[in-house]
Amino acid sequence: MKKSLTIPPLVVALTLLSVAPAGAIDFVKEVRPILEARCFECHGPESQKSSFRLDLREAAMKGGSEGVAIVPGKSGESALIAHITAPADDEMRMPPKGDRLSSAEVGVLKTWIDAGAPWPDAVAGADERLSYWSWQPLSDAGEAIVKGQSGHPVDGFIQRRLSEAGLTMSAEADRRTLIRRLTFDLHGMPPTPEAIEAFVSDTDAAAYEKLVDRLLASPHFGERFARHWLDIAHYADTHGFERDKRRETAWRYRDYVIDAFNKDKPYDQFLKEQIAGDVLWPDQPEAVIATGFLAAGPWDFVGQVETRSDELRRAARGLDLDDMATQVMTASMGMTVNCARCHDHKLDPISQEEYYQLWSVFAGVKRDERPVNDAELKKYESTKATLTKQRDELDLEIRRLEGEGLDLADIVGGGNGTGTGTKRQGLDSRDASVQTKDLGRLDKVKMNHFAAAKSEFIDGVFIPDGFGGKGVIPISSTGLTLTGLPKTSGEAWDLIRNGPVASQHSPVAGGIDFTKDGHSLLGLHANAGITFDLAALRKASGADAMRFTAKLAYFGQEGANYADARLYLDGKKELEFVKLGRKDGLKDIDLVLPETARFLTLIASDGRDGIGHDQVGFGDPLIQPHPPRNVSGDERERLTRLQGERGEIVKKLGALVSPPKVYAVVPEAKIPEVRLLRRGEPEQPTGDPLEPGAFAALAMLNPDLGDHGTGQGDRRAALAQWITDPKNPLTRRVIANRLWHWIFGAGLVTTPSDFGLGGDTPSHPELLDWLAAEMEREGGSIKAMLRLLLTSAAYRQDSRFAADAAGVSVDAGNRLLWRQNPKRIEAEAVRDAVLAVSGKLNPASGGPGFEDFTYEEAYAPIYTYITADDPKLWRRSIYRYLVRTTPSRFMTTLDCPDPANLTPKRMTTTTALQSLALYNNDFMLRQARYFAERLEAAGGDKVKQAYSLAFGREPTAVEATLATEFIAKEGLFSFCRALFNANEFVYVD
Amino acid sequence: MNRRHFLHTAGAGFGGMALSTLLAGKSDAAATHFSPKAKRVIQIFCPGGWSQVDTFDYKPELEKRAGQPFDPGGELQFFASKPGNCLPSQWEFRQHGESGRWVSGLFPRLARCVDDMAFVYSMKSTTALHGPGCFMMNTGHTLPGFPSMGAWVTYGLGSESENLPAFVVLPDPRGLPPGGMINWGAGFLPAVHQATTLDANNAAQPIADLFPPPGFDGVTPQRDAAGLGFLDKINHLHRESRSGNSELEARISAYEMAARLQLSAPEVTDLAGESELTRKLYAIDHPETGPFGRQCLLARRMAERGVRFVQIYCGAENTTAKKIRPNWDSHEDIVRDHGYWGEVLDSGASALLIDLKARGMLDDTLVICTSEFGRQPAAQGANRGRDHNAGAFTSWMAGGGVKAGTGYGSTDELGFEAVDKAIHSWELHATALQLLGIDHERLSWYHNGLEQRLTGFEGKGVVRELLG
Repeated sequence: MKKSLTIPPLVVALTLLSVAPAGAIDFVKEVRPILEARCFECHGPESQKSSFRLDLREAAMKGGSEGVAIVPGKSGESALIAHITAPADDEMRMPPKGDRLSSAEVGVLKTWIDAGAPWPDAVAGADERLSYWSWQPLSDAGEAIVKGQSGHPVDGFIQRRLSEAGLTMSAEADRRTLIRRLTFDLHGMPPTPEAIEAFVSDTDAAAYEKLVDRLLASPHFGERFARHWLDIAHYADTHGFERDKRRETAWRYRDYVIDAFNKDKPYDQFLKEQIAGDVLWPDQPEAVIATGFLAAGPWDFVGQVETRSDELRRAARGLDLDDMATQVMTASMGMTVNCARCHDHKLDPISQEEYYQLWSVFAGVKRDERPVNDAELKKYESTKATLTKQRDELDLEIRRLEGEGLDLADIVGGGNGTGTGTKRQGLDSRDASVQTKDLGRLDKVKMNHFAAAKSEFIDGVFIPDGFGGKGVIPISSTGLTLTGLPKTSGEAWDLIRNGPVASQHSPVAGGIDFTKDGHSLLGLHANAGITFDLAALRKASGADAMRFTAKLAYFGQEGANYADARLYLDGKKELEFVKLGRKDGLKDIDLVLPETARFLTLIASDGRDGIGHDQVGFGDPLIQPHPPRNVSGDERERLTRLQGERGEIVKKLGALVSPPKVYAVVPEAKIPEVRLLRRGEPEQPTGDPLEPGAFAALAMLNPDLGDHGTGQGDRRAALAQWITDPKNPLTRRVIANRLWHWIFGAGLVTTPSDFGLGGDTPSHPELLDWLAAEMEREGGSIKAMLRLLLTSAAYRQDSRFAADAAGVSVDAGNRLLWRQNPKRIEAEAVRDAVLAVSGKLNPASGGPGFEDFTYEEAYAPIYTYITADDPKLWRRSIYRYLVRTTPSRFMTTLDCPDPANLTPKRMTTTTALQSLALYNNDFMLRQARYFAERLEAAGGDKVKQAYSLAFGREPTAVEATLATEFIAKEGLFSFCRALFNANEFVYVD
Repeated sequence: MNRRHFLHTAGAGFGGMALSTLLAGKSDAAATHFSPKAKRVIQIFCPGGWSQVDTFDYKPELEKRAGQPFDPGGELQFFASKPGNCLPSQWEFRQHGESGRWVSGLFPRLARCVDDMAFVYSMKSTTALHGPGCFMMNTGHTLPGFPSMGAWVTYGLGSESENLPAFVVLPDPRGLPPGGMINWGAGFLPAVHQATTLDANNAAQPIADLFPPPGFDGVTPQRDAAGLGFLDKINHLHRESRSGNSELEARISAYEMAARLQLSAPEVTDLAGESELTRKLYAIDHPETGPFGRQCLLARRMAERGVRFVQIYCGAENTTAKKIRPNWDSHEDIVRDHGYWGEVLDSGASALLIDLKARGMLDDTLVICTSEFGRQPAAQGANRGRDHNAGAFTSWMAGGGVKAGTGYGSTDELGFEAVDKAIHSWELHATALQLLGIDHERLSWYHNGLEQRLTGFEGKGVVRELLG
């Protein structure tokens, strides 16, 4: 089904028919009155149940979500007739309420259909919604207005409407106000006292323009504007939903957006890269990273991956595609296409079919981490591998020289015993495979089966059952066995791990947390056994005689739960711990390993009470030289050199940050077919598979985006092209309005992501279209457009006004801009301003987000916030690591939006909880203290400096006296705390 | 097109609101659509998915088929498993009260309250996943980001209290429910409508940042007060040349409200004034059921003081699987997990109903108890547990004008799927709103192209049979 603006063949046929004689039936006089009286209420201009309407010819003939209703010439096959003739108690009977159609009325409709359902052109009806302003080409009416006036082009438009309303612009704000306003608008932070003084004393006639340019050129500009865009993309660093896992490489997209604004990437390019950069410019890393846009929203791991139910998976995927499609269309064009998911859009001329054609554009991709660039990833990986290998070799040599021994937990984690292994990696006791995921209770357990490990130091693993002492348990690849173990439950849990096992009650025993720095833990949940190859360990440690030391403990919950632990050398029992429980604490193990011993075997078994809670672990399990080595002078020198070399390598490794990957989209193996889903139900696909397409409401564009053979990448590229087509008026209007909104605090259209019939209409339509066209003339330069807006007199007006100002009675909402809008700064700007004023702001830009929480790996990861009292956490708020399920309470209280939502416009509320947060929160208090310390250190007039830093001005005489008295009585800290809470701190004039 | 939402978006902000609005939203606009039966709501949420056939939905046929394959054709695929054999209720069912409603032996105390309760046996969800399911039951949408019922109610009704937040949530002490704290978020509604989390175990700081952290050098109550006095002065000086901006005045008032909250919040969490009888009724000293009992008692205290909507969680997220699951998600062992959580709920919820009734508060307090979905009548494979089931579950309500002792809708003979009068969260919420005097179709907020509602657009509206 190709969609285009040419009239569909069916209608053409009808038009031809309509000139033919239509028998005795007159559509206008006989048919239409019946439809109007009996059907229009639900299938007319106001309501279109089942997406079906009978007031427009094209729509009536097309049918609704249940298919075609009128088959011209065949009343017997027309669902319309079936519905109106159905028995009264039948669900399908139409109309559902009231009297049924009389047999005369039914007869008229039947005759009409059998006659070919003639419907004259003159009354075919047009969808009036298509003439709505936002779908029309850009008007050039603004050109004439601009030509006919002197002065700043923007001001002409504003003044015209103001004078119509009998209002005038307010006077220009003073320079201190202007620089504060500009710096918050463009940087999201207050200006420094130095910047203020320089601007105030600048005698250059172009001082203001120079300031605008300077602020636009600063990297803080991108940090500020990226926040706006990321709101629209509902960006966060975790998945959301139940298993709110981390997206470690999502930040590259955030940095891309910052960078795009800073380098003033042309807007069309910006959009194209975010929708299809991976296809259009596959070799350009930034274009690939840009597609992080498509993946920025939430994603349900359980529904997409974990569940075994295909039905649930289809439902989760449905939500996922809806999120992606909605985000792209609301962000770029202010089209609320999501409203057409269950039925045709209730307000806008967007059909349900078109909505699913948009799905067809995105159906071929899914959210996932991907390489930014294959060559770069290869380079990264080989560099990392080389450096890691060098480091590991050095570690081994250093350990050998120092005689520190080798860590068996690290070896279990795939390391060489010096800390190179992966935490929580381990071996599956059934088959010795290397795993990291949490397995929980194991199925398909085979008892007393030895599985050889592919490890230099580990001989193999097994799951033991002693069968009351009679069981023969194989423990080595050389065929060694042991007997004498008690009967076990025959069950096993999770992996033999470098660290705690899955769902371990606690990593702490005897007061030591074995997951913390300097400690290690070999997790050995009953029933499991592992055999180490002492010959290999001996070779690596460089010592002939060795000893094994560890702190054995039962890490499961306290209670009537026990396990047994035993140690063997070459199958001979050396140590035995029977009925070990949590209250036994740590058991020190110190076992000499003679030169002749080949295998060390560790076994945990279930103590005959089932395996529940049997989390046995060996803390700090070390193989050390015996006796300990004495380090000679030469060796000491060598050690120093090796440690120096190691330091260099570690530095290089640290500089690699994270692999050149990004959380974005990857292609599906095959593009799944997309059909219209009745009522949006994933289990109710109907009709033919849909080709990718856009929206016919924009009559100047061809909505055809390809066919079934079009590849997934080309589908997105076609959509990107359609959205950025120079003839597309909506894309330009929407961005012009967004820029206005970000700068003036309210858009010309106050619903920035909804330009449909449910949204606002522009306060200054000619201005909006002129700006949209100007955007094109400026080559899509955001900075050029901002320069234009910021240099207008409208922007520079004073925002202060009295309750009895003339504008209040005429235009209380200030849509006509008789003054500038005072702005309450957003949560991020509050936090950044506090840090800037206290002097603690860490200006480091880019890279992984800072984490002002502790992270605990669990089925549903646990994020617990901490007080950000560390320079690493004093970075700008744009670099926060954003957790969907657990947003920062402090920020949320200050109106920071939930990244589950697309947020085109920040909301401002005033609450008592905000007052409490700003006045009492630990972060705020500490920052107030730093602010006070800063003032103390600077010397001079503290009140003056405090006012200059916090408010960008000098205190008045009254304020100075008040402040001085207050400080004398309550101290400088209390004063600083109050300033952070002042209205003037959070409201910008 | 001039639409309603201009009221919200016309840039006037919330500055013009009355004092009491700062904790709650518009309370002056207490004009409801109908005469309300209920003034407030206490909702108990049991996350994890509770089993209907082991609790309230009596299925004798399931007992008859015990041990027979549930799905002989092997066609069904549940969330985590293929179904095993029919697994009858693990607790014996009996009829109770004058109404004769069936309740299983899992809830011996609640069974005595059946004549005050209304059961909906025909609840369905649109998803069998915990995260989306919790969102659905709280917000009417499976996607995150929509306002929770508590946010909608406070948006509609504002607060009855000038000293306490209008919407308070008491999470399970073990942690957050699936999907996290956005289960009680305000979504796109103004943040003033989001829930305030009350930490019942933290007497010194029951609400985050209610007081400065203890022991902070240089902070004393006297200094706090002096600082606020100074702040008030500089704010008024600042306001002199900006008299047109009423938001500034509102923000000054917010600090006064904050000071009032500092007095009222510790008072509400201090249980010292409760009688020994009450403490025993809620079993607040019991090591297992006590924490939830304490939450229920707090809910009653807040309801008394005019808190509009209290939500209590009876269960957390599937965090670290202990011997007993941290919520109702009983995949492995229904007796172990429902046994534990059933006792917890039975103790606290029955105490709440009895106490509210004794105090005459049950008449205008609507209690709602629900889970995000139900569980399968079949065993999960060879386990003694049950897999997720979005096709049927039971919710109950009590008080607040609900038709007491009634049972609405039904499931099939095995309790697999709601077949008669099946409803979703939409209808349950619409009914609750009706009892609160709100027309659910008129409680809306324009967002992303739609006049959004708690009750969506697919629902069938208010369930009249549940209205008393």
